[in-house]
Amino acid sequence: MLGPDRNTQARPRNFASCSGCNLCLLVCPVWRRTHDFALTPHGRAKALQHGAAAADLAESIQGCTLCGACEPVCPEEIPLIAMTLDLRRQMPQPAAVQELRTRMEAQAGHEPSPRSGPVRALLPGPALRGRPDTMERAVALLGGTGSIRLADDDGADIALALEAGSTIASRRMEQFLRPLRALKQMVIAEGLLLRHLRPLLPGAALISLGEALSRLDAVRGALRAGDLYVIEPRAYHGDYQRLVRHYDALRAASGCAFNLDLQRIAVPATARSLPQRLGLETIDDGVQLRWIMQGRKVTRIVVEGVEDHAAFEGISALPVVHLADLADDGAS
Amino acid sequence: MQLTDIEPGTVGPCPVAPDALQGIKRQQTNPARWNGPNWAAFSAALRSQGIEVRETAAARAAFATDAGGTAYGLAHGVVIARSTEQVALLLKCAQTHRVPVTVSGGGLTTEGESVAFGGVLLDMTGMSRVLAIDAAALTVRTEAGIFWHSLAEELRRQNLDYLSAPLNLTSSVGGTLGVGGIDVNSARLGCSADQALALQVVTPTGDIVECSDTENAELFQRVILGYGQFGVITEATLRVRPYTPLRMHYFYYASLRTAIEDLQLLDRNEASDYSGILTIMDCAVNVLVAFDSLGRETAFIADWRPRLRGYGELGFGLRTLAHYLLRPWKLGEAWYLLQRKRELFPELQRPEYMRDGTMFDRSVVFSRAVWKFWGSRQMVIPDLATSAEKFVEAVERGNAVCRKYFPHYTLYLVGIKLRPEHRAHYEMSCVPPDAEGWAYGCEFEPMMDAGVYSRDTLQSFKNEIYDIGVDMGASYYRFGGMMKGYIRRVFGDAMVDRHLEMKRKADPAMILNRHVIF
Repeated sequence: MLGPDRNTQARPRNFASCSGCNLCLLVCPVWRRTHDFALTPHGRAKALQHGAAAADLAESIQGCTLCGACEPVCPEEIPLIAMTLDLRRQMPQPAAVQELRTRMEAQAGHEPSPRSGPVRALLPGPALRGRPDTMERAVALLGGTGSIRLADDDGADIALALEAGSTIASRRMEQFLRPLRALKQMVIAEGLLLRHLRPLLPGAALISLGEALSRLDAVRGALRAGDLYVIEPRAYHGDYQRLVRHYDALRAASGCAFNLDLQRIAVPATARSLPQRLGLETIDDGVQLRWIMQGRKVTRIVVEGVEDHAAFEGISALPVVHLADLADDGAS
Repeated sequence: MQLTDIEPGTVGPCPVAPDALQGIKRQQTNPARWNGPNWAAFSAALRSQGIEVRETAAARAAFATDAGGTAYGLAHGVVIARSTEQVALLLKCAQTHRVPVTVSGGGLTTEGESVAFGGVLLDMTGMSRVLAIDAAALTVRTEAGIFWHSLAEELRRQNLDYLSAPLNLTSSVGGTLGVGGIDVNSARLGCSADQALALQVVTPTGDIVECSDTENAELFQRVILGYGQFGVITEATLRVRPYTPLRMHYFYYASLRTAIEDLQLLDRNEASDYSGILTIMDCAVNVLVAFDSLGRETAFIADWRPRLRGYGELGFGLRTLAHYLLRPWKLGEAWYLLQRKRELFPELQRPEYMRDGTMFDRSVVFSRAVWKFWGSRQMVIPDLATSAEKFVEAVERGNAVCRKYFPHYTLYLVGIKLRPEHRAHYEMSCVPPDAEGWAYGCEFEPMMDAGVYSRDTLQSFKNEIYDIGVDMGASYYRFGGMMKGYIRRVFGDAMVDRHLEMKRKADPAMILNRHVIF
């Protein structure tokens, strides 16, 4: 029979394609915490295949941390993050998200003032803005303010709305995108926003803060064999095929360990459900952090994400260093 | 042919008539659904003891089928196993109320064995903790719902590895010990079930029993390779070993017979640490061999490599090209081979899993490839397990059946070293009674996405493969569930009745995994 086989045929990629392999469970932080099949991508897929509606799966849909670990391991290449967000859109929105939408619509009325300057920008997000010293070092490492500018609007509200599966008013989206269209390169700290912006800004190079910094000689040279390097999972899994090679090369060059499992999937240190992101539930990162540290002999923890920095400091006596601070770390 | 309703606790007449014409379509043996008497009282009793029972449609629908995707059923409720004591309470209650209990681990059965046709589905993956690793004694104690991959992740943190496990990493430990578990090192180390040193088992009547070859040995023998009939494995002590990356070699054959002969030569002489055959139809037959150490690899290259009749990749490519140039009417087949090679080979050599010519995490590489290139929403994988002497004939006859039914398929062949002291474990299992030293297994897996097949067509295909086994006195890995009509023909009335008697004694209400075997 002449013709393409199953892997080259155009097949629908949705929950109906799930073959039930369970590979997503192996990397799912919700599974690790709960061992509850219903709260996993596979559990959602099977329930949907057999007649469940989004409303029947509310806990599972809201509980997903959107870390993206399940996507690269899915043999059917189902876009699991997009599909989970789509399911969130079908759910009643929490009051906090309703308020967010109101704020976004109000903000959409303000026109940004035009700016000239570098064609590179850093979108740091609220977590990095909360650590101004680290943010300044990141800017300096990336070439200083003459080479890269801090975006006035880094779309924190849009990132949160994406997370919630909320529709984003086109006026607000356009307001956010307009200044970005003039840029050649964007370094984006928030992995979910990075994933969403890639198709919207095809003319620009969009990379994560972790990748941008870890490509710098000053940073690479400061890594050492006793380090545990904690990759920010959302950006990594969103561009897995390319970045798995990048970090493998970094491992070979530096000798440091990574928060990667045997499938080379990043184990999230701070995996948060939607209610946790919205402050509606308490955060407990203990299960993930203990699993990352279990059996490892490391002398320092190097993180790409600011949230991870705080989480590791809470459970470990080891020095915890953000990648941007690495070159200045006295211990290095 | 008319199928009659069978009372639980009995084995009816074989639905595959001895005088049936081979290959004719036969009705599937999907069981009738248990209609739910006593369910309300049972679920209320569980809840009164603090056990959560999920009865929503969504919760039950998530377990509506298994990896085979041809058997469908709905439980009345789902319970996630959380402790041995909870499982014991559930089984006691189930005996009292005569409610069927279907146990599911990874749910990777293909004949509906882990599908509940009513009653309660017990999801064992809720018990997935590693309890203790003894690096000095090279053992691990783990809850039995854990996936092999999750176990490997924990062992690796101590630079350890399991001995042998199914190539599919999302099989559960308990489920695997109940049926066998075949790895590409089984020709040297035996099946996964042979690695179990001790088990904690909840009997069908709810007693918690520790068993091993020296403690409650009779229960141990029945639970190992027992297809879930004699208890629920809740914990297992397994042998482990220091982790080593693999040194892989691939040899290509155009003849199944030659490849099998060479595989058996290697196995007999323990010339490699890993060995197996994976094919693209019968056109490209790949013997894979691998080694845990440079020393073993060097010895193989010096002593055994010259005796193998397989080609290297380039040599086989040239041979195949010449073959198809002379047979232009088979251009479609050649194109398929080329496509398959282009997709599959890079996946087996992804650089992030290779270092200095060795393969790290072989199980990840193979497991991902298995699902990517052989998985689909419907899978039928009939198999034949024979003695070494009968194996070539069994594979050639099975291959002819595949050719008849499907344009594209894969064969997976591997040897299993038998342990004489485990002979009792092997009774009424996939290990054929006439096998000495090694048993050999072959899985026949059609590529389903190349076409749409009715369930009857798939059942006919399986039947025709299994008819070969009956004819040759072979056994099967997957003789439960929809294939259990073959049990009497394969094992004989005397053995089946003896096991049925043991089952009745152990499980008076016949509630545990009732549709799998009996």
